Amino acid sequence: MSNFFLLFGMGLFALVFLCLYRAVFGPGVLNRIAAISAIGTKTLVILLIMGFIYNRVEMFVDISMVYALLNFIGTITAAKYLEMKGEL
Amino acid sequence: MISVTDDIIIRAVARILIPFIQVYALYVIMHGHHSPGGGFQGGVILGASFILYLITHGLEDAKERMSELKAGLLSSFGLLIYSGIGLLCIIEGSNYLDYGGLSTILKVIPAQARSLGILGIEIGVGITVMAVMYSVFFDISTGGILPEDEEDLGEGR
Repeated sequence: MSNFFLLFGMGLFALVFLCLYRAVFGPGVLNRIAAISAIGTKTLVILLIMGFIYNRVEMFVDISMVYALLNFIGTITAAKYLEMKGEL
Repeated sequence: MISVTDDIIIRAVARILIPFIQVYALYVIMHGHHSPGGGFQGGVILGASFILYLITHGLEDAKERMSELKAGLLSSFGLLIYSGIGLLCIIEGSNYLDYGGLSTILKVIPAQARSLGILGIEIGVGITVMAVMYSVFFDISTGGILPEDEEDLGEGR
């Protein structure tokens, strides 16, 4: 079972780089915001998978919840900033 | 200046989410000594909930809930809790922040006094970090100039 989680995590790790490409070269700010939000979501799933691999899920659940929360607030803040600058 | 957002989804989600964020922040502060987290991390989450309120409900509403004066007072109050517990340990005859000395005041064994002492320290750190995070965001988003000051400054700024 640990092998399955390891492979799954490595697959998600590879997908992070595809999102990173969109965040670096993506046309426009909105694509970048969406890509960074997707990277944050993948990161929190990877954190949970790490918890399963090390058999300490109850520790990693706390961290991943904080990560999801700050990701949400960060995305809203970036959107608000763009709204205030009048780029939307 | 940050005004209230006209998107009902953002406002409704923030209104539902903010109490849960704050309860979770209190959990992180309380469980700091046997799980990841602690005073600083819990304070950041607590500050993030206030920042979320400021972003979604605008500066006017946020100032009624938590003004800059309140944030400044709370940051000093958290520091007072921290240093007060530390000085209480000195008064009881042990080193600064050596919570074992608190056992005579709390009437528990020294091991329990250490656990309670570190909890008090983390509550103080959490309050300070929350207030400072909020006031930093407040100052950056307004540029240090509140709307009521703009009339005094006039056009010349």
